[in-house]
Amino acid sequence: MRVMAQVGMVMNLDKCIGCHTCSVTCKQAWTNRAGVEYVWFNNVETRPGQGYPRRYDDQDTWRGGWTLDRKGRLRLKAGGRVKKLLTLFSSPVQPKLADYYEPWTYDYENLVNAPLGDDFPVARPKSLITGEDTKVTWSANWDDNLGGATEMGHLDPVIEKIRRESEERIAFEFEQTFMFYLPRICEHCLNPSCMASCPSGAIYKRLEDGIVLVDQDRCRGWRQCVTGCPYKKIYFNHKTGKAEKCTLCYPRLEVGQPTVCSETCVGRLRYLGLFLYDADAVTAAATVADERDLYEAQLDLLLDPTDPAVVAAARRDGIQDDWLDAARRSPVYALAKTYRVALPLHPEYRTMPMVWYVPPLSPVVDLLREQGHDAEDRGTLFGAIDALRIPVSYLAELFTAGDADVVVGVLQRLAAMRAYLRDITLGRDPDDAIPASVGMDPEQVYAMYRLLALAKYDERYVIPVAHAEDARALDATADEARCSLDYDEGPGMYASGAFGEASGRPVPVAVETFHALKQRQSSEGFVEPGATSGRVNLLNWDGVGVPHGLFPEHGQGEPT
Amino acid sequence: MRYLTPHSKWSIHSEYQDNLFMLALSRGGPALWMSPADAAAIKAADNDWVEVVNSNGVVVCRAVVSHRMPEGVVYLHHAQERTIDVPKSEATGRRGGIHNSATRLLVKPTHLIGGYAQLSYAFNYLGPTGNQRDMVATVRRRSQEVTY
Repeated sequence: MRVMAQVGMVMNLDKCIGCHTCSVTCKQAWTNRAGVEYVWFNNVETRPGQGYPRRYDDQDTWRGGWTLDRKGRLRLKAGGRVKKLLTLFSSPVQPKLADYYEPWTYDYENLVNAPLGDDFPVARPKSLITGEDTKVTWSANWDDNLGGATEMGHLDPVIEKIRRESEERIAFEFEQTFMFYLPRICEHCLNPSCMASCPSGAIYKRLEDGIVLVDQDRCRGWRQCVTGCPYKKIYFNHKTGKAEKCTLCYPRLEVGQPTVCSETCVGRLRYLGLFLYDADAVTAAATVADERDLYEAQLDLLLDPTDPAVVAAARRDGIQDDWLDAARRSPVYALAKTYRVALPLHPEYRTMPMVWYVPPLSPVVDLLREQGHDAEDRGTLFGAIDALRIPVSYLAELFTAGDADVVVGVLQRLAAMRAYLRDITLGRDPDDAIPASVGMDPEQVYAMYRLLALAKYDERYVIPVAHAEDARALDATADEARCSLDYDEGPGMYASGAFGEASGRPVPVAVETFHALKQRQSSEGFVEPGATSGRVNLLNWDGVGVPHGLFPEHGQGEPT
Repeated sequence: MRYLTPHSKWSIHSEYQDNLFMLALSRGGPALWMSPADAAAIKAADNDWVEVVNSNGVVVCRAVVSHRMPEGVVYLHHAQERTIDVPKSEATGRRGGIHNSATRLLVKPTHLIGGYAQLSYAFNYLGPTGNQRDMVATVRRRSQEVTY
């Protein structure tokens, strides 16, 4: 057992009102720049709907994530190293700009420069890519609130799949019966396929907290990660030619602050905290034969931070006591493992995603209320969860690889919580049979209620501060220790720059002054050993004064 | 059609309506929500240019067709930015208006109380509310070639 810490997130979808505050604040903080106009590290999509980029969860088309080969081993769905090498210079399987959306602005100049006329001037849309006039035909969130779903609802890959495979296909009314919002960020997977796809080894998973990052110096813009990520949460910056992705706001996490999306979340539906997991077991968990077993396999990876054996192993593996304490108070561990109400998004991609979702009960409740039932009554709710197979099978396709029983179990726990707490709120005798019917005790139900409904800022975000004293050691290991799949012949084994020099380690950049360079190149004499001591690194110059070496010594380097 | 002008998701009153992020997260300009049946009746598809016309005025905007709208009702979220993506109207040849182009304020008794603070009526003032929010208008699919 090798214990590692992972910062994870849980989002409680029942609370999401689709206000997009997370998207806007994230965009303002991270991607409000040229080259990434079309990029939303955080987006909120209306489901059922196509999402952003369009139909990203259709892996028959985009070939993201992992699959098992005939021998039952993990292989990238987009193809292994040989195929990658042969097709390195074309990366055809990835969304086009039109699948994200063509970013636009407006001709604001016209508002002040238009000639006098009868009508007030307006700013018409202009493409930010071509600068030409354009008609807006797709955006980062076109099908918001099911707008256009009549024409395009069937293009949702999940709906397509249910129609194709399930017995509900005849009774297809469900885009007319329910709707919920799905906020998405990078999943910071335990088994990231983007990292394994990168020919340059530029993507790494941080040892200390599991955040997946792109090293901007090592990225060579092959764009294989865009194909490799099944969630399409790695984006290509068309100005710099490098990949960029959600950083889980690591500069904030390191000082104990929640991510921007969590901090600004109006519905307070996001939870941040630590998971402890067994890094040695990740590959085996991602390789289980039946994709419906992946959720349980992923849960089994999460270690109990109160177990003395786990604590001892964690200490041995360098996890410090304040982090272990945070792991014990972790809201995400509680929701995912203790109460088992949070589910991973698309576990069938086998990437072991670490952003979890409490599936929404509201589609069921809303429907009951519309039909005039008492939507908080346990009997009605439980019956409805069983009867409303269509929302349940939709949620199952998103969160449990189609296993409706797991979703029903989660919804029943949430329903039991509502029914049990209603008795308490109304001053009636609480019915302990309700928690028992879902395998929980009353204290547990109340604790879960507190966490889901009342939790304050420091209960929702339990983020241990980074250990600065470990930074140097972590830096030194950052190049070797990439992920649990980096063993020899493992699918993540790309450490040595498999595609020649350009894919290897970056050459350190030295900045020399124009004068120093010219002098060195034009001088007829041999370079004396001491002659380079006058070089100055402008990157370290604070702009104050004239550092030694910025200009040649008087008399040196004069034209002859 | 019953023409309603409810509050928008993408702004607070008329503020932030012209924010580029907000526009990129929505339809990027004035939009009219309508039911599939009504859209079919005027042969309008999602995102087609349509004109809302009645005796008060005209609004040009793009259609959002969704089954979440009941038949016979259209929504034009109020205070959509009038300087952003509003083409000229086919009906009048002039600028395509705003949500209030198709509404008219009728006097009601509470407007006439007057004499004290919140009892005095003035346009855009925190007094007795107007009653211009429930109108009837015709919605037409217009030529998809628009001029500004």
